[in-house]
Amino acid sequence: MSSDAMAIRNVEVESLPLVETLHGWLTTVDHKRLGILYIAYALLFLVIAGIEALIIRIQLMHSHNDFVSPQVFNRMFTMHGTTMIFFVAMPILFGFANYLVPLMIGARDMAFPRLNAFSFWLSAFGGFLLYFSFLGGSGLYGAGNAPDVGWWSYAPLTARAFSPGHSSDYWTLSLLVSGFGSIGTAINILATILCLRCPGMKLNRMPLLVWLNLVMAGMVLIAITPLSAAQIMLLIDRYLGGHFFDAQAGGSAVLWMHFFWIFGHPEVYVLIIPCFAFMSEIIPVFSRKPIFGYPVMVAATVCIGFVSLSVWAHHMFTVGMNSYANSFFTITTMAVGVPTGIKIFNWIGTMWGGRIQFKTPMLFSIGFLFQFLIAGLTGIMMAAAPFDWQLSLSYFVVAHFHYVIVGGILFALFAAFYYWYPKMTGRMLSERLGKWHFWLFLIGFHLTFTVMHIPGLLGMPRRIYTYEPGRGWDTLNLIITIGAFIQAVAILVFVANLVISYFKGDKAGNDPWDAWTLEWSTSSPPPAYNFATVPVVASRRPLWDQKHPEDPDSRYD
Amino acid sequence: MATQLSAEQMGQNPRTPREIDVPAPTAWPFVLAFGCTLMFAGLLTSVSVTLLGAVLAVAGCIGWFWEVFPHEHEVTVPLVPEDLRLATERRVVERLPVAAEQLRAWLPVHTYPVSAGVKGGFAGSVAMAVLACAYGVLRVGSIWYPINLLAAAVYAQSLKLESARLYSFHADSFFIALGLHGLVSTLVGLLYGAMLPMFPRRPIVLGGLIAPVLWSGLLYTMLGLLNPLLASHIDWLWFMASQVAFGVVAGLVVVRQSRMPTRENLSFALRAGVEAPGIIPPRGSGEKRP
Repeated sequence: MSSDAMAIRNVEVESLPLVETLHGWLTTVDHKRLGILYIAYALLFLVIAGIEALIIRIQLMHSHNDFVSPQVFNRMFTMHGTTMIFFVAMPILFGFANYLVPLMIGARDMAFPRLNAFSFWLSAFGGFLLYFSFLGGSGLYGAGNAPDVGWWSYAPLTARAFSPGHSSDYWTLSLLVSGFGSIGTAINILATILCLRCPGMKLNRMPLLVWLNLVMAGMVLIAITPLSAAQIMLLIDRYLGGHFFDAQAGGSAVLWMHFFWIFGHPEVYVLIIPCFAFMSEIIPVFSRKPIFGYPVMVAATVCIGFVSLSVWAHHMFTVGMNSYANSFFTITTMAVGVPTGIKIFNWIGTMWGGRIQFKTPMLFSIGFLFQFLIAGLTGIMMAAAPFDWQLSLSYFVVAHFHYVIVGGILFALFAAFYYWYPKMTGRMLSERLGKWHFWLFLIGFHLTFTVMHIPGLLGMPRRIYTYEPGRGWDTLNLIITIGAFIQAVAILVFVANLVISYFKGDKAGNDPWDAWTLEWSTSSPPPAYNFATVPVVASRRPLWDQKHPEDPDSRYD
Repeated sequence: MATQLSAEQMGQNPRTPREIDVPAPTAWPFVLAFGCTLMFAGLLTSVSVTLLGAVLAVAGCIGWFWEVFPHEHEVTVPLVPEDLRLATERRVVERLPVAAEQLRAWLPVHTYPVSAGVKGGFAGSVAMAVLACAYGVLRVGSIWYPINLLAAAVYAQSLKLESARLYSFHADSFFIALGLHGLVSTLVGLLYGAMLPMFPRRPIVLGGLIAPVLWSGLLYTMLGLLNPLLASHIDWLWFMASQVAFGVVAGLVVVRQSRMPTRENLSFALRAGVEAPGIIPPRGSGEKRP
């Protein structure tokens, strides 16, 4: 790799007035700034949706509780689920993709910088429109209502007869708007990766993070479109007299389920594949070994991309599909575990025999590996239709998917924060606060979501407002709520770390982790143009080649 | 070993530009996104909101258009001087001796042929069958009892038999048990053949102890849930003994087979025995292909 640097230091950077700074952020088309905007916006909604989760947990802390009304409870779990998936997980992952992909492939920006800005603002305004429903969405319970039909918005609950007013419409339109933003971002990621790679960066030399985001972007295009189509159909049902989902007028409520889940399950992989990408970059660096089985990792990801498009109806085993459909979706769901298992095997293979450094990013990565494995195993259990019949719509399912989303995605995201924050800000996050964050969050997570499997097995249904005492659920729910508050404390530690380290953290330098990919070859934070001259690479680890000219990877390519 | 490369060491590249053009900041995407959102929001609030959204969206489209046509607006950013440092540490380790023609070691260097696994599986299946039949004769007084039980794992008809009939010969159960036993034994034998080189010092520990204990423990915990009727008929001590017998015998047979070099480092053409000029070097006189 060739990289250029000028030996002039101590450059004074003028600080701009606040108005100019804000104007700069609002009009920016720089992929790095947009990436940070995505992340900041998602963190804001993470706090909001986290507060909603705490309200849910306080309500369920003991039997016969009436901390909130049933109506508010319904709004809380609907808004919590919708916000976490569409306005936290997706934008934060798009943010990291925006920030990292051009840097990792040696590009100056995304392929369509203005489309990038447009996509971000659409996603952002979609989130604000959803929360405007608290003021403007008069619905079933009177004025000022947020959506309250669950984040799946199953028919016929969304029909005008059962959801009068506009609360469900805010749900539909906000996701439609942000969905257009997601499609724009996905097109941008695809075009950037396919067209803007620096000289020498063949497909088989791309960092795994880039490969996995390529697959993720392709899946977004496939998965978001049926959801958008279904939302337009729902609007037609509600306002133009359509009957797509009205079973009494020849429509089908099950049709909505198919449309929703043909988006919904690939969406899980849209969220988890970028987290696989984080793992595939972080684990090798902190194991001081190259990734084990690069081609197999790529093949497994592409395989997951394809297979995950054919598993959606495992969410519908209890609907009453025929035995052939049940068998098909059982088999495909179990099959998707094979390439996923290969990935876990390869990450462990990467760590095996490595000189592991237990820095905070690596701690979160190890937590991810363990928890995502458990999440996968309970997923395989749920994939068996007879088992699913017993536990569908119970807290066992809630525990399972929170193991995926919190134990998997959120842990991976925290690892990514600790790993790339120095690149984004030029400052290191505090290791001491990071370890406090990790251990508190780990304890809180397991108190909440490991324990949550048990009331599910004991028959506690999801979305239940309250429950009778003496069913064996009371103590378990109390423990779960305590765990949720411990997680909240951990999040506060994390936010404090972000803020304190931004002002007082150690200077990071351009390559604090002794890493191997291109983003570490430019300064922290990178300049607007990323690289003074476009780099040229000769292997998958260009910085390794530069640091070890006596034994470059390019020799083995 | 530590290497430190600094900007000074890397030197200045005469090709490095002094200024770089990047896309100019613009508010039009923001305006268009806001307009689109208002158009949708107006459907739920007021038509005036939709109209405002439409005006903003049109303005956003026009503004964006002029932003990129006839020429894309760019701003020139001066090159910011950087002080890049690439520091690294690398522990020097002893390398495995590898043949000169190989770039990297492929482990294990030697492994067992597929036939070793098949032979091991067959021998193990005989040992297991002998022990199971001995159990039938000695403990329950019928050689057919373990055979009927094995068939019942996949053949519900077998378990539906009355208890007394579990002790007698039934052709369908017999052939199902025979096929199942042969198939599973062969597959497990193949697995042993593949895995035993991973435990080169104590191969029998894997086959004779670790695998039987793990497998028996798993079945013991699961079978009560999956098929309690079948579980109630099983004598777990004898079951584990037969598993150990299989593992020890299969392991012994496998390790007595001669090993062969692994071919992972050879090209597919060479492994498949394809005559591919240009890929496979020509044979010398009397030389054999690996």
